Amino acid sequence: MMRVGPFEIERRPDPPLTWILGVSLLAILAAMAMSGVIFWSYGVDPLRAYGVIIRGTLFNAKALPEVVRFAIPMLLAGVGLVLAFRALFWNIGAEGQILAGATAATWVALFSPVPDALKLPMMFIAGFVGGALWGFIPALLKLRLAVNDVISTLMMNYIALYLVSWLVHGPWKGPEMRGFAFTNEFPPAAQIPLIAGTRIHWITLVLGIALALGVAFVLARTRLGFEIRVQGESSDAARYAGIDPMRTTLLVMLFAGGAAGLAGVGEVGGIHHRLLDPNQISLGFGYAAIIVAWLARGSPVAAILTSLFLGFIFTSGDVMKVALQMPARVTDVFNGLILFWLIGSERLLFYRVRWAPGRAVREPLPVGGAGADPGPPGISGGDQ
Amino acid sequence: MRWMKTWLVVALILAFATAGPGLAQTKLKVGFIYVGPIGDYGWTHAHNQARLIAEKTLPIETLYVESVPEAQVEPFIDKLIQQGSKVVLTTSFGFMDGTLAMAKRYPNILFGHASGFKRNPNMFTYMADFYQIYYLNGLMAGALTKTGKVAYVGAFPIPEVKRHLGAFALGVRAVNPKATVNVRWLFAWFDPAKAKEATEALIAEGADVFAFTEDSPTVVQVAAKKGLPSFSHYSPMQRYAPQGVVSGQLVHWERIYVDFLSKVLAGKYNATNLQNVDYWWLLAEKAAEVGGEFGVPINPVWVSKLQAAKVNTKEFGTLSVYDLVMRRLAQMSKTPVAFDPFTGPIRDRKGVLRVPAGHTMTVLELTTMEWAAPGIVGPWPKEP
Repeated sequence: MMRVGPFEIERRPDPPLTWILGVSLLAILAAMAMSGVIFWSYGVDPLRAYGVIIRGTLFNAKALPEVVRFAIPMLLAGVGLVLAFRALFWNIGAEGQILAGATAATWVALFSPVPDALKLPMMFIAGFVGGALWGFIPALLKLRLAVNDVISTLMMNYIALYLVSWLVHGPWKGPEMRGFAFTNEFPPAAQIPLIAGTRIHWITLVLGIALALGVAFVLARTRLGFEIRVQGESSDAARYAGIDPMRTTLLVMLFAGGAAGLAGVGEVGGIHHRLLDPNQISLGFGYAAIIVAWLARGSPVAAILTSLFLGFIFTSGDVMKVALQMPARVTDVFNGLILFWLIGSERLLFYRVRWAPGRAVREPLPVGGAGADPGPPGISGGDQ
Repeated sequence: MRWMKTWLVVALILAFATAGPGLAQTKLKVGFIYVGPIGDYGWTHAHNQARLIAEKTLPIETLYVESVPEAQVEPFIDKLIQQGSKVVLTTSFGFMDGTLAMAKRYPNILFGHASGFKRNPNMFTYMADFYQIYYLNGLMAGALTKTGKVAYVGAFPIPEVKRHLGAFALGVRAVNPKATVNVRWLFAWFDPAKAKEATEALIAEGADVFAFTEDSPTVVQVAAKKGLPSFSHYSPMQRYAPQGVVSGQLVHWERIYVDFLSKVLAGKYNATNLQNVDYWWLLAEKAAEVGGEFGVPINPVWVSKLQAAKVNTKEFGTLSVYDLVMRRLAQMSKTPVAFDPFTGPIRDRKGVLRVPAGHTMTVLELTTMEWAAPGIVGPWPKEP
């Protein structure tokens, strides 16, 4: 507890749901107020702008499925990240794992002798394995050589990016594409079916939801889940309890990479139907998934909601660009502000500020007394 | 229940959202989809300038969206049509399949796709190409190099850039049969940092004249700092190095846009007769212009040097390079053209006969060209 003037600030480790929702909504409103000033200075009435955004996304039959379409890759990668973050493995490499999955699936779709009926299942399996391998390497580096996981996973992204770029400019360049850097189109058997009239590749969506529920179950009800949670709370405690950090970390990263790999399969199999420039395959979904996992606060089920929210953020920018004829940079600022406020308000959740002017300070507190770090909330705050 | 209040605010915003303005449109609405930002000073900037000119010239209204990822072209076409667009023009090769799919879904809307090869009764293709101009630039570069090494900073090793590089190298060799064209690839359309690095590397190799494909004036500026001549690309860049830029390539997409849209307004083109409409417009159609500034084919600073350089040609005998450039320009500005740089016999840099004597490369051969012209030095992915 700490005093600032007449206020008392105290920690609150388990904020109630209403408080979480309230603070988050306030954060969004603050972001909207701030970007309102930007819209206004750009010459667009802010209220009209928000009206257009909401009408153009949530109340538009063509745009609403796009929210889901964007949510799919971020859900899959996000669920993997929730698990990795719970085990205190800082996986920044979902982007590369998505590309690794996309590459493996492309190999199955275009270059493997797999019969048509097995193409799709094999693509998903190969994509999972590809992504898992991409996540496995930095996990091994961390465990064996104590290589920093943030750096190694991030660098693996660039390796994947240049690998894909080399493939589409070199050996996999499609003869049908008249020299442009794309592979040939996937045969129909290798295209993931869409919900009619939308671009929702539903198999991938179902996989994402199933994985979210599955991870929630594993974390809450199984021995492995218990081990992951203990290791996330304290690696020392985990060692005393006889938990093998090698086993849990490797399993977690195989899963996290694999889930991101599935997201890559969904993108090339459901949307692009070919391998292409890496920056066009994933529109930063691997990085956005970090925010999905962070906002989900350690809960895989909450990742379903937060990925939909991020999907809304992606599509809202598109609406502004067309309906308000705004430059892409202004819409990026709007999206950035919302995420900045949401993440920035995070700390508010875990403290209660109380009006208590009457009480005198008995003893001076050490500086930073309130700064007793509650740790990343995803690690200790979750309840799944 | 403080958070109930925030819900109330949200509900109010939603109420705002559903009351939209009803606009009656009489002018033809044309939507443009760009792959890059309109401020790139290259491809997208040029399309946007052309859009503004078309809007001034014709009784039309236009909408645009910038920085559209390739796979997102379909939802953006949806949005442009919802905003009332009757004609949608997409300006990147990667938009091809998405544009075709939407052309089939909206048979009453007219579509245009730049740089692609797939058409539909309601979808035409168009391209303003520079290869003739690169040949003219090559003639000048060949006369100006002292080291015998001419530099080319290339964006991507795809047929479009390979064709331009090829024409450039043929021009260089027509004047200076021993000169080489040294190539560095960026694997990016817009990357000033990499362009600077590539230019410096080429300077270190001994190159002393610069041409490039990249959407910023970086190469021009870096070369000018060393006092070396260069050729502007896509937008008028002479203003960035008034002493350094010799000439360059300029585009006039508005020639195509105004021609097509006035034919739509006149009822000549409609949603049933575009299957065979393919604009491949060059110097003669005034869709491309030689120069680093509109109306200035050769920077006056360099004219005397080009007049002093003599060259011996079969067709015109001995004449100055300046006169040769002007004669070739006049020949290629006629309809039909009196000269084409890709007229055989032409062997590639390995000695394989690529264009037999008496044959001039067709548009299909040009748009799928993969071989490297003689004199080109450097990596050449997918060299046949």
